[in-house]
Amino acid sequence: MAENKYKAPGKANDSEMRALFIDPVPDDRKVEEALKHLKYLVEKYRPLMLAMESCTKCGHCAENCHTYLGTKDPNNIPTNRADLFRKAWKAAYTVEGKLFGGLVGAEPLSLDTINKMYSYFYQCNECRRCALVCPFGIDTCEVTFAGRQLLHWLGMVPKLQASVGAAMYRTGNHTGLPKPGLVDTCEFLEEEIVDETGVDIKIPVDKPESDVLYIPSSADFLLNPNTMMGAAKFFHYLGVNWTMSSEIAEAGNFGLLFDQRHTMRHNTMRLLNEAVKLGVKKIVWGECGHGWRTGKMYVPSMADRPIPVPIVHLHDETSHYIRTGQLKLNPEANNHPTTLHDPCNFGRACNLSEKLREVLTPCVSDFREMTPNRERNFCCGGGSAILYDDPVMYDLRIKFSAKKAEQVRATGIDQNGDGYLVAPCSICKAQLYPMVEEHKLGVEVKGLIDLVGTALYPPINE
Amino acid sequence: MEYLVFQILPYITITIFVLGVMYRLGKWASARIVHNIVLTPAPDTVSGAAVNYVAEVGLFRSLFKGDKSLWAGAWLMHFALLNIIGGHIVGFAFLGEQFKFIGTSPELSKQLSDILGTSMGILIFVTLIYLLYRRLSITEVKHVSNPADYLLLFLLLSIVTAGNLMRLMPEYSIHYETAQAYIIQLATFQPVELHQSNILFTLHLLLVQLMLIVFPFSKLMHLFGMFAERWIINRPYVEPAPGLPGAKAGATTNTANVVSGGKTTSGGV
Ligand code: SF4
Ligand code: SF4
Ligand code: SF4
Repeated sequence: MAENKYKAPGKANDSEMRALFIDPVPDDRKVEEALKHLKYLVEKYRPLMLAMESCTKCGHCAENCHTYLGTKDPNNIPTNRADLFRKAWKAAYTVEGKLFGGLVGAEPLSLDTINKMYSYFYQCNECRRCALVCPFGIDTCEVTFAGRQLLHWLGMVPKLQASVGAAMYRTGNHTGLPKPGLVDTCEFLEEEIVDETGVDIKIPVDKPESDVLYIPSSADFLLNPNTMMGAAKFFHYLGVNWTMSSEIAEAGNFGLLFDQRHTMRHNTMRLLNEAVKLGVKKIVWGECGHGWRTGKMYVPSMADRPIPVPIVHLHDETSHYIRTGQLKLNPEANNHPTTLHDPCNFGRACNLSEKLREVLTPCVSDFREMTPNRERNFCCGGGSAILYDDPVMYDLRIKFSAKKAEQVRATGIDQNGDGYLVAPCSICKAQLYPMVEEHKLGVEVKGLIDLVGTALYPPINE
Repeated sequence: MEYLVFQILPYITITIFVLGVMYRLGKWASARIVHNIVLTPAPDTVSGAAVNYVAEVGLFRSLFKGDKSLWAGAWLMHFALLNIIGGHIVGFAFLGEQFKFIGTSPELSKQLSDILGTSMGILIFVTLIYLLYRRLSITEVKHVSNPADYLLLFLLLSIVTAGNLMRLMPEYSIHYETAQAYIIQLATFQPVELHQSNILFTLHLLLVQLMLIVFPFSKLMHLFGMFAERWIINRPYVEPAPGLPGAKAGATTNTANVVSGGKTTSGGV
């Protein structure tokens, strides 16, 4: 079967696709449909058009993409990934492609190429490192985005992305937790905080008359509870009247990752509706890389009406209060050699690199930079939620993180087995947990606000 | 043959080049910048963004940070290319005597022009050879190359070689006056006069025209792509004001200054 020729995550079945309001296109019509979508997308989005038409094939992006570095698969070289689109675009819609074909790198679209797209667009972490290094700034993410959009319209979406999308429609968060589940978890975490610090700190859901709407990553309810507690401690310390919403307890927006039209807009409007309903004065976004990239870069352009209140990131706020000396932090509370993994979305799409440092340095006693860092950092390998568990894809995921493991090891924080690897992004965390195991690093993965929380309210039993 | 290259083809070339470039740019312009995809860290002022823009476009800064040898090859090649194009233009216009304007004698000016022209010609030849070598020798670059990428390099190398030979071999050189007269005749739609038969010059002119014809249909359009793409990702970005409403601890809640949803200051999304 041609489909198995390429490593690829398991696909959502027809009924799962219908849950996303897509009727899958049968194989014999795929090429024809894909060509229509291709033309539509390239002619609509200028960054995509420029990626198609002004790459000089200088090859500089190759050794700057960790997916290529980790796999040495030439198809993972950014410009070759873009070629999955470019070849078909040239062959079908450009003068030179029609006249000279393969000589100028044109190749008519085939079903095989579509399957190849499904494989390699889902091997891209959408991390923008290629955009950073390309002399022209060509952003291969834009091609991956468009590629995944096209595949979505054909009905080709990985099970993981599709089920998360469906959970979002259903419950307003990615983990599919209904309101009672959220409330229970929060109560449980409140008790945890009391046990740990002796302070009574609330974690409110749907609290009327709140000033601030906090948008957590839904993974923080179960997978990263310290992040949730850290945020609660921070708001409590400042005496902020805050709440979360059961309608949108999700910082992530998988629309960015597989459907930048309906899914992305749906999540955006869900957020804005809720802000108005609750009457809050500010929206504060939690630790989620792609989610905040969406909040910052896409919510303004996807919104169907003017945005009612300012939207900021949690660490825009923490850094502000640290800079103005309003948080008393005890670095000894986090007495571990610590390094920071800059989530690529924060570094290359959200202007947050410096702020993350402003926040982290006063919270820990021993901070060591990894190299490269800030906007030049390499992605963890999980970016764009390619967090697949089936063996073939899992193996790829671990390969994608080889560069990251090497970077962490070079800081020496893992030597005594008590290092902290700080990653203020849910997807990074989900990727780094197994990465740490597989590459045998003596570090614990932490969120950033987790450490702010511990530095604000040191555990009483210490 | 010469009649074709000197008299007929130039009009065809210019037409294809101008219409082709306009067609491509029109196609680019009708595609929209839908979302704000500023690459960060981004400055928060227009002048900060302008500095970045110029550093990228003029100095290839991203390339410099990532790969010094490719930068050296690419930047020097383009530097020499710009000098050569500029040299052709002022050479035709002032017959090599342009340095008069900075106080040299006409003879010295001609000598200077010769030295500059020859050295730039050699520089571009060497850098092009390096770029070709790179394309042939580095695995990754080989992986991404199309036949057209090599062909364009060969085309440029041939143009440069013909030009250099004309400079280095007096019997093939062209006088400024001859070239100027030719351009004027072309521009005023008069029949051109060809005094001598010069195979190198014919070849040089033919290949240059070939390059201009393929320009709009090739990656040479990256000349405009550079400006267009940088315009999208090197913009200023203004952060919303920090400060949480109702925060104690003397927090400044700066509601007058909030920016909703973070638009770029140029507002062009
Ligand atoms: S760095 Fe940019 S121009 Fe060079 S091959 Fe990659 S995408 Fe193309
Ligand atoms: S976005 Fe990241 S993973 Fe994707 S091609 Fe670019 S560098 Fe590679
Ligand atoms: S998962 Fe983390 S490191 Fe990786 S793309 Fe997201 S933000 Fe980047």
